[in-house]
Amino acid sequence: MNSDNIEYLDCDVIVVGSGGTGSQAVQAAAEEGLKVIVISKDPMSSSDTKICEGVITVRESGDNTDTEEALSENIKLAGADLPDKKITVAFANDSKDAYDRLRVNGLRPSINKEKNKPKTLAIAMGGHNKSRSVGHKNSGVAFGHTNWDTIIKYKNVEYFEDCWFLEVVKEETEGNKGKDIKVLGGIVYDAARGKVLFINAPSVVIASGGLSSLYFPKTDTMRGNTGDSYALGIKAGADLLDMEQIQFLPFCLASPPSYEGLLAGEPSTASFLGVLRDKNNKVILDSVYLRTRAECSEAIMRAVEDGRGSPNGGAFLDMTKNISAPKSGKYFMKYLKSALPSAYNNARQALGKEAGKAEIPWEVRPSAHYSMGGIRVDEYTRVIHSAENQYEPIFIKGLFAAGQAMGGLFGANRLGSTSLTELAVFGYRAGKSAAKNANQSFKNKNYDIFHEHYFNFKNLFNKKGKLKPYKLKLDLQKKCWDNIGPARTEKKLKKMLTYLDKIEKDLNNVNVPEEMIWNQQFIDLIELKNMITTAKAVAIASLKREKSVGGHVRLDKKTSSLFSKPYSTLVKINKNNTFEAYKLLRQRTPLKRIINYKISEKFRFMKAKILRILPESISDKIIENKYKNILGTDQITIKPGSLDGAPGDKVNQI
Amino acid sequence: MEEKYLNIKIKLKRNNEIKLIEYKYKKRTHDERPMALDVLLQAQEEQYDDLAFRYGCRARNCGVCTIDVNSRPKLACRARVREGDILSAIVTLPVIKDLVVKRDGITRQMKGYNNIPKKNDLNEDANKLYHNLTACIECYACLDGCPVHAKNNITDIKKNEAYKYGNPYSFLKIQRLLIDPLTPDSEKYKLIDKAKRLGLDIYRREYNSLKIKCGVGINLKGEVIKPLLDAAYGDEFEKENK
Repeated sequence: MNSDNIEYLDCDVIVVGSGGTGSQAVQAAAEEGLKVIVISKDPMSSSDTKICEGVITVRESGDNTDTEEALSENIKLAGADLPDKKITVAFANDSKDAYDRLRVNGLRPSINKEKNKPKTLAIAMGGHNKSRSVGHKNSGVAFGHTNWDTIIKYKNVEYFEDCWFLEVVKEETEGNKGKDIKVLGGIVYDAARGKVLFINAPSVVIASGGLSSLYFPKTDTMRGNTGDSYALGIKAGADLLDMEQIQFLPFCLASPPSYEGLLAGEPSTASFLGVLRDKNNKVILDSVYLRTRAECSEAIMRAVEDGRGSPNGGAFLDMTKNISAPKSGKYFMKYLKSALPSAYNNARQALGKEAGKAEIPWEVRPSAHYSMGGIRVDEYTRVIHSAENQYEPIFIKGLFAAGQAMGGLFGANRLGSTSLTELAVFGYRAGKSAAKNANQSFKNKNYDIFHEHYFNFKNLFNKKGKLKPYKLKLDLQKKCWDNIGPARTEKKLKKMLTYLDKIEKDLNNVNVPEEMIWNQQFIDLIELKNMITTAKAVAIASLKREKSVGGHVRLDKKTSSLFSKPYSTLVKINKNNTFEAYKLLRQRTPLKRIINYKISEKFRFMKAKILRILPESISDKIIENKYKNILGTDQITIKPGSLDGAPGDKVNQI
Repeated sequence: MEEKYLNIKIKLKRNNEIKLIEYKYKKRTHDERPMALDVLLQAQEEQYDDLAFRYGCRARNCGVCTIDVNSRPKLACRARVREGDILSAIVTLPVIKDLVVKRDGITRQMKGYNNIPKKNDLNEDANKLYHNLTACIECYACLDGCPVHAKNNITDIKKNEAYKYGNPYSFLKIQRLLIDPLTPDSEKYKLIDKAKRLGLDIYRREYNSLKIKCGVGINLKGEVIKPLLDAAYGDEFEKENK
């Protein structure tokens, strides 16, 4: 490649990603008067934030008795004690101001005139111990506009789209406790103009989202979630936390192809009489509405494993009993349509009229939705790499991560409507931390080290091998689903690691042309490499997680007891340049709370059992009354990913 | 018996050369009615691993997969195709490669348009018209047939430059801010001025023959262009349209 194709740039802060997190980081740094460069591979603000349900957690929005402590504890318990307390506290402290900042930037909720504050959802969102979820007209698209407006607001912000951020450029020296790592900037492939950008900057913010595309098309998220954040992070030396904790939504569409992966419903959609069946019509899970998402996914995937799955590798969600009940039947359709309207529409369009009326079972299969794990950071989003001892954090100077890229906030489970708050709180914190670091740093003027870093990428153009990167990507996605998907075993995880070693070798034999303008094979190769790195971290972390907990289901292991000592998994690249996993012990919730929980869980399932064994005429009447209660409120909304959607997920709510 | 295949034409563009290829789409079920995006994904998997196209959410929300199907802009993820259909890049923005167009000239023309102080009280309701406009997913289907945008030179992909002339999307952004209850009156003239600088008067001249279509059904002519013209030219515009 000719050196004319290199463009030399410099700035104070690079923000990788232009979604909700990226735009908040941009604002925070730009307000300080610093020069900011935003790098985005997709068109500006076309991120998961734009396509989400648009419900956000705002402390005290619905209930004056809400406190910072209540919210912080709520998040920590939901995450099975895996979250870092300092991070959940930061989340709770900033959530109100963070939301107001989005409103200043153009987000307009409906206002409750009496209370003079935004209206919250009619029913307190499940899992939250207070009413604090605010919905928005046009869902995530309203946030998309806000993010877009935030990025273009400032004169000191430069913006590049169709650009793939290749690597964090860093300098390593021997420090007291281990390696000292300092960020010098980044290397970017500008596909639109056919250039490579060398950007000198003392601060880099990683805000490039999640990993759900590892499972494409079994995901309801944006295509761009190829694990870029985690790969960039670990290659820069960062620790990754809880990478095995991936949220799968159990009831997504398995066909037709155009709808594959999109959300069809949540456990609560099944209502009081919905069950899951295998292809032989045998019930594989009852009381579906009380189950956790992980339990539903597990039942489906076990049937698939045993060869009893549906034609497209799922199972059947049978809600026909709900509709045929003499008294309560007529209420069910109203409930089904209004509880989760967008998911219901997906299902009706994809599966047809009869399915739309719940007269026939729906074929469903889990989809990847969110990565709760991510780059290890402190509450100021400063990225951490640990030396010999994982309890001794060392900061990577100049590197920050926020949003879905970061770990330590949600642990094993995520409450509904919290991810939008996560990006508003930590995106902004990341921008401020990056600005502070930039103001305290000397500017590097030398590009020599960039050339050294770039050498590896330069060699990826013009490769004369036989394999197609796109084909390898598809193969990897299939293997990820089979081996590190919603249900895992030790055997599968080890098989995955062997496969990853093989595919890494295959990279030497790929075919990539020399052209610089929108080199599709180069783009696919870069994303493939990031996916391989991320998949490896997921597999290794999963092996370190000895029992099923939260979003992680092991078919060959028991569910983690609430009495066992909680720990996060930590993956990092060790001295020999291989990946290694460690345990990071976390503080356990006091015993009293755990016992309270156990009692409430027993009670919950007992009630469901009674409903099943009572004569139909009596249970029908009870259910009728239950519907009347739910539908009696002016509006019901259950948001995908929320605990309302899966009341069973209240496992850690006390 | 239904056909097992669909023959779809895809227009490729590389290094200023245009090539029309024919792809035989294999239906996955006998009654499949695939979307344009399904065809592109299968073509990339089976035959053209270098095929360049955009997509995101596959559910009509993200607005990035807009292409022309038989010369009409459509969201590839929700546009069903039929035998003989032609898929190509939209003609209203410069093509980078195949079906991928450079979109950021529009983003750049709006830089700083919203840098205005906001009122302190955030708790004011925006009206229905405001929310009608935030339904926009930025798919750029509205560029088709816009006489203002047609004045831009859209050939160069090598420069990150702002377009001089506006389009229904950029005017929608301005109109949304204009009816935002938090925008102070003293700032509104700046927004109108921005609209004028983007060539709003072209709409004034061509208002009656104006045909623009929104990809998600927003009434662009009635709820964006007309109120902006009213705000900018007031009575004069009213008179012209009597």
